[in-house]
Amino acid sequence: MAGDAREAPAPVGDIGGIGGVGGIDRKPFDDFIVHEARLLDARRFRDWMALFADDGTYWVPAVPDQASPFDQASLFYDDRDLMKTRIDRLEHPRIHVQTPPSRTAHLVGNVVVEETDEAKGEYVVGSTVIMVESREDKQRLFAGRQRHRLRREGKSFRIVQKRVDLINCDSAFDAMAVPI
Amino acid sequence: MLDRTRDDISRLVEPGRVHRRVYTDPELFELEMERIFGRAWLFVGHASQVRKPGDYITVDLGRQPVIMTRHHDGSVHVLLNRCTHRGPKVVNERCGHGNRLVCCYHGWTYDMDGTLVGVPVPEGCADGFRKEEFGLARAPRVGEYRGFVFASLAASGPSFEDHIGPMKRNIDDLVDRAPEGELAFDAGMHRYAFDGNWKLQIENVLDSYHVPFGHASTVNKDGVQFARREGDQAGAKVVEAKKESTAASWKERKSYTVGNGHGWTSNTSLDEGKRSSPTFDAYKCALADKVGAARADEILTPRLHNSLIYPNMSIMGLNIHVRVIRPIAVDRTEVNIFPVRLVGAPTAMNSANIRLLNVTHAAASFVQTDDLEAFARTQKGLRSTATDWVDISRGLGAEEPDRELNATRELATHEMVVRAQYKAWATYMRGAV
Repeated sequence: MAGDAREAPAPVGDIGGIGGVGGIDRKPFDDFIVHEARLLDARRFRDWMALFADDGTYWVPAVPDQASPFDQASLFYDDRDLMKTRIDRLEHPRIHVQTPPSRTAHLVGNVVVEETDEAKGEYVVGSTVIMVESREDKQRLFAGRQRHRLRREGKSFRIVQKRVDLINCDSAFDAMAVPI
Repeated sequence: MLDRTRDDISRLVEPGRVHRRVYTDPELFELEMERIFGRAWLFVGHASQVRKPGDYITVDLGRQPVIMTRHHDGSVHVLLNRCTHRGPKVVNERCGHGNRLVCCYHGWTYDMDGTLVGVPVPEGCADGFRKEEFGLARAPRVGEYRGFVFASLAASGPSFEDHIGPMKRNIDDLVDRAPEGELAFDAGMHRYAFDGNWKLQIENVLDSYHVPFGHASTVNKDGVQFARREGDQAGAKVVEAKKESTAASWKERKSYTVGNGHGWTSNTSLDEGKRSSPTFDAYKCALADKVGAARADEILTPRLHNSLIYPNMSIMGLNIHVRVIRPIAVDRTEVNIFPVRLVGAPTAMNSANIRLLNVTHAAASFVQTDDLEAFARTQKGLRSTATDWVDISRGLGAEEPDRELNATRELATHEMVVRAQYKAWATYMRGAV
């Protein structure tokens, strides 16, 4: 874990707004979020990680409306270092919990650009995610709202934070090995 | 069919092996709920979860729903969460705060110590109805040590001191790390579940044998695990990379038992001299300010890895947390893991502990998930009738007394501590406790 946790970027705020920012072309954001989901379904975890900014984080809170990953347990709260450790493990031949591996199908939709900061080139994009996971004759469903804080970089974006608020985030889960 | 006699139970546990039915037989599970979870001292929660008068939490002891409350006079109560009228759970929330506990069905109202204080339409009560007899049932016995609250659902049996006493130093080991000498359970919890028997989890917490293979995916090419503590540059060496065998230093770890099913494993000594980071150093200073530098060094020298307080709780000394095991069915178990906040430690240190615990013990962690896979596969494998016996004989006969610790000692890659659990298990299950 890199340095003081407090130096990490501010978390994307709780999932609240309904409406989006008017007069903005949603398509590039929509394309990006669909691309990200397709990388996960293809188990291209390194390419997925490369979408994150160097200061990027991936957060799946463990309670609804969780205010901070720094004072409460989370299902996932990975910076780039932890993401790399996670992916090294996902590629390890003896990761028992992925023998056989999970297959996933993500569906993302209801994409709304919630905030824009053109000066910083940063955008907050809300969407709904459904992920079906199949492993060893068992299939389970994850669903929730997600928020991406994106930073414009060239013609595309990098992820400053991806936050997924599962609707059952405070349930007891059987082992989860792959990101949502 | 299980003949619930003393002899039948005794036939399930032999010196170096246990019958597979202890993991798979639903009738034995029912008997465990009665004779172990219905009688033993069980961890309920931490006093900091009900810090203020009127605070409450709900948990299950075995399968029985209970409420832990802080009464108006400051006392902590463990109440059965079942309306004394027609039976609904009175409190439905996992935690909360209030003046009274009110049943949703007919409005029977209880004070925070369980006293029945209100019955709507009281003129309908039968002749001779006495409110005093209809308070929420209380756990017959409750004990607390340094904020850790335990209860027994049986009125008789070994005292709190008899049962918990030998494990107090293991609680001290964790609590003493807080500069204020106090823990707070206020950082949420991890909840995971698996299709396996509850005993698979309590055996696993004291199993150092499985780590090099079971957690192979967490070590790098040099056989070293990722850093699991703030200030560490690397984790423990668990595998000799060249031979892909268990690291020599790992084999030196010890396990201990003090009877009653309890046990613990010693920690691998990581490179303490090099443990340093701005966050860790600030914490160490905060601790030294309170207890002196020599004592701070002593407290921060790892001695304990996991400690099991039989039957339902463990404490971890590396990625500090308290784990509570909740049996649901013979082949289904839920586990709750509480990060502990060290009161008086710098916020950044507590944050680091919380973040590293996500990585090691969340449902989506790097470490725990491979254990969960092993538990589920064990439960499936034990369907086989190829052999009725599960082998727990490693180190049988090699146990030795540790007079300094007043405990019995063995290598941690052996299975003495599992045998100690089954010794206690058989004692409870024969109805001898």
